Amino acid sequence: MIRYLIGRLAGVVLILFAVCLFTYLIFFQLSPDPAVMICGKTCTEERIGAIREALGLDRPFLSQFGAFLGGIFAGRDYGSGATLVHCPAPCLGYSFQTDESVWSMITARLPVSATLAVGAAVLWLLVGVAAGLLSAVRQGTWWDRGAMALALGGISVPNYVLALVLQYVLVVKLEWLPFPSDVAFSDDPARWFQSYLMPWMVLAAGYACLYARLTRTQVIETLSENFLRTARAKGLSRPLVLRRHALRPALTPVTTLFGMDFAGLLGGALITETVFGLGGIGKLAADSIAKNDQPVIMAVTLLAAFFVVVGNVVVDLVYTALDPRVRIR
Amino acid sequence: MSARAGLLVVEDLTVTLPTTRGPVDVVKGVSFTVDRDDTLGIVGESGSGKSMTSLAIMGLLPRGATATGSVRLDGEELLGRPDRELRRIRGDGISMVFQDPLSSLNPYYTVGLQIEEAYRAHRGGSRKAARAVAVEALTQVGIADAERRAGHYPHQFSGGQRQRVMIATALVCSPSLLIADEPTTALDVTVQAQILRLLAGLQERTGTGMLFITHDLAVVSSLARRILVMREGDPVEYGEAERIFSDPHHPYTRALLESVPRIDDDAEVWL
Amino acid sequence: MSASSGEPLLSARELTKTFTSRGPGGVLGRRVAFTAVDRVSFDIRAGETLAVVGESGSGKSTTARMAAKLMEPTGGSLEFAGEDVTRAEGPALARFRKDVQVVFQDPYSSLNPRHTVERILMAPLDYQGIAPKGGRRALTKELMERVGLDPDHSQRYPAQFSGGQAQRIGIARALAVGPRLVICDEAVSALDMSVRAQVLDLLRRLQRESGFAYLFIAHDLAVVRRIAHRVAVMSGGRIVEAGPCERVFADPRDPYTRTLLAAIPRINPAWDRARRARADRASDPSQEAPHG
Repeated sequence: MIRYLIGRLAGVVLILFAVCLFTYLIFFQLSPDPAVMICGKTCTEERIGAIREALGLDRPFLSQFGAFLGGIFAGRDYGSGATLVHCPAPCLGYSFQTDESVWSMITARLPVSATLAVGAAVLWLLVGVAAGLLSAVRQGTWWDRGAMALALGGISVPNYVLALVLQYVLVVKLEWLPFPSDVAFSDDPARWFQSYLMPWMVLAAGYACLYARLTRTQVIETLSENFLRTARAKGLSRPLVLRRHALRPALTPVTTLFGMDFAGLLGGALITETVFGLGGIGKLAADSIAKNDQPVIMAVTLLAAFFVVVGNVVVDLVYTALDPRVRIR
Repeated sequence: MSARAGLLVVEDLTVTLPTTRGPVDVVKGVSFTVDRDDTLGIVGESGSGKSMTSLAIMGLLPRGATATGSVRLDGEELLGRPDRELRRIRGDGISMVFQDPLSSLNPYYTVGLQIEEAYRAHRGGSRKAARAVAVEALTQVGIADAERRAGHYPHQFSGGQRQRVMIATALVCSPSLLIADEPTTALDVTVQAQILRLLAGLQERTGTGMLFITHDLAVVSSLARRILVMREGDPVEYGEAERIFSDPHHPYTRALLESVPRIDDDAEVWL
Repeated sequence: MSASSGEPLLSARELTKTFTSRGPGGVLGRRVAFTAVDRVSFDIRAGETLAVVGESGSGKSTTARMAAKLMEPTGGSLEFAGEDVTRAEGPALARFRKDVQVVFQDPYSSLNPRHTVERILMAPLDYQGIAPKGGRRALTKELMERVGLDPDHSQRYPAQFSGGQAQRIGIARALAVGPRLVICDEAVSALDMSVRAQVLDLLRRLQRESGFAYLFIAHDLAVVRRIAHRVAVMSGGRIVEAGPCERVFADPRDPYTRTLLAAIPRINPAWDRARRARADRASDPSQEAPHG
């Protein structure tokens, strides 16, 4: 087990290093010259040169990349002498647009994305898995057909459309909910809940539909397993057969998918955040892309990759715990 | 006709399955009797309806299938009873062992738990007490170090051991009838011999009536007192094993016996 | 007919297959080696049937795959018609494929369900780039007749045939290129008893007609007895006993072979003799009415 964990962690480090290298290559080497971007419209050759030197852009690629990596773990200094700026670890640089520390930009926005992801996940798991289960157990009934048709429709509706429709109905027409804003839970729990309710619904809708269909398929498949026939032949009650023998095998693959989806969402829900104007990682990504703010784009990319890679390991560990066949000695 | 009524009496059992081309009879008017301490072998090739017959007795037919006729266990009619009542009989009055032990055991739970739950479904009691019964059952079927092995998962057992676990599960409530549906077909020949010996030994000890379903005439010949040959849902021939094997009346039974390759003495060799 | 003696057609020397996999621990995991086949040697002469029998995990199927060149051996050599084919590639491998054909266990999964029988039977020729003499339709019909299928069904799909018939299609496909060796990997195991007997009879008849050799892989000794000239018994990746079929069955020398033979379920011999005696009387009218 220890050996397995060490192996996996080594793999994670390797992958994250590769991700760093490639994103760095793409955003700093293949993109327009950052120095020109920072310098703006009224710019001289000298100023560009000074900026390049301050950012270390005049040095060879590997040395630049080394400084970047070093910044993440140990912090780094920009410029020299009077213009020296120390950027404490973890240093992801400064925004070309606002000169803000990228790390503090991310830490400020991560709670919004996390809140969004957690709330939506709870919602889609409850609704999606329950609907899928009911459909599977009542296979072929009007409920099953209706729910599955709805789910298929739900998957096809883009969530910005759903966002606009919900906003019109719930906020404008019925005035049941306020317009979403990133209220902190500690300030006003009731308003926080009302604010996030609609974004949660929008974000969860597509996943709920997908999970309902997946759960249904998985449960139906499990119901036809030989060991289910054995369970019935032993004289177990129907609820026990379903709960113990059908649910766990059926939901294990759903758990795996959930881990990946959730990890993906921690890296920002670009459309939902943008539509509702919530200042999360997704919104940050959209804004920085629009303004070509390279340090921020890169940091957001790295963050998303980090969540996905770590999420992958967590999913594998959870899977190992759930399925005895893959248990590691 | 003996005065003693059989343990299991099946009369004119017909099973109908719905298909896209309308209902099809997969078992057509089958009748037989199994006594206590007695083994009936049902022999047939694929599509003979032998497995559907056993599922009909257990009340485990697939959705939409219907069974008519009569199935009586100790004089009690089983056909047409609601699932709730049949549940009390399954695993207690009648138990079943299936063909493929690996897929018939739930990979997510220890074999101990899977035996325990069969016991507790009918006898109740604490998990601890049930575990003791499960360990005893595993020992009975020849699993060494049963206490430790009860905590293992199905994939940690060999094919033959898995079938032993299935047999332990089936016998944990001391059923009066055991249905074994091709219990050795998925096993190697040496393992098959061990399992057949185990079943015969357990029957001798407990007096359980046995319904042994197989495609292999040689397998039942040592085990069954009576034989029912089935083909495409029809009962072809029914009688004492010795009579069926030495003097088969029906051409299909004769053809089936003819197709059993011989391994001893005067087997035809074609060189 | 009798098996011809002389030069072996296929000759395996010390064939070995070791599978390695990484144990737990991803890139840092220890490599775990497992020897499935351990220095197995055998010869098959033209026109003869060598059966390899064993239980699951004995290595018989891996041996068959290496002999068919569907799997690279880790060690040892394979010679076909005097030519070393152990590492054969390109034209040499193509020649080998034309001479050696395989019939698999599951007739349905080894036949493409979307192709007609004609397309399935002609596929080996298409791969080899051979144009059938007399046309595709004619050859298809001839092959179907040879394996006892209705030649008018050449445009049907595999699902329209029973298991035994589907296996006949598999056999016909193997015959299409005129092979010198046919490797049957559990070719009758999935079939019902009565169908199995018929397919075995067919395999014997085809060998009589065309004179090719069989490498016959099976777990069922009774089946083997019915078809093989020589038998090799495998256990734990090794051949524990090999010899003429009659000798191995009548006088098994290895303890494992004896266990295997003893484990085969048998019909009560007295009953079986009585039945056959009765059947003989019924088919022989001269004995039927002794009171005359």
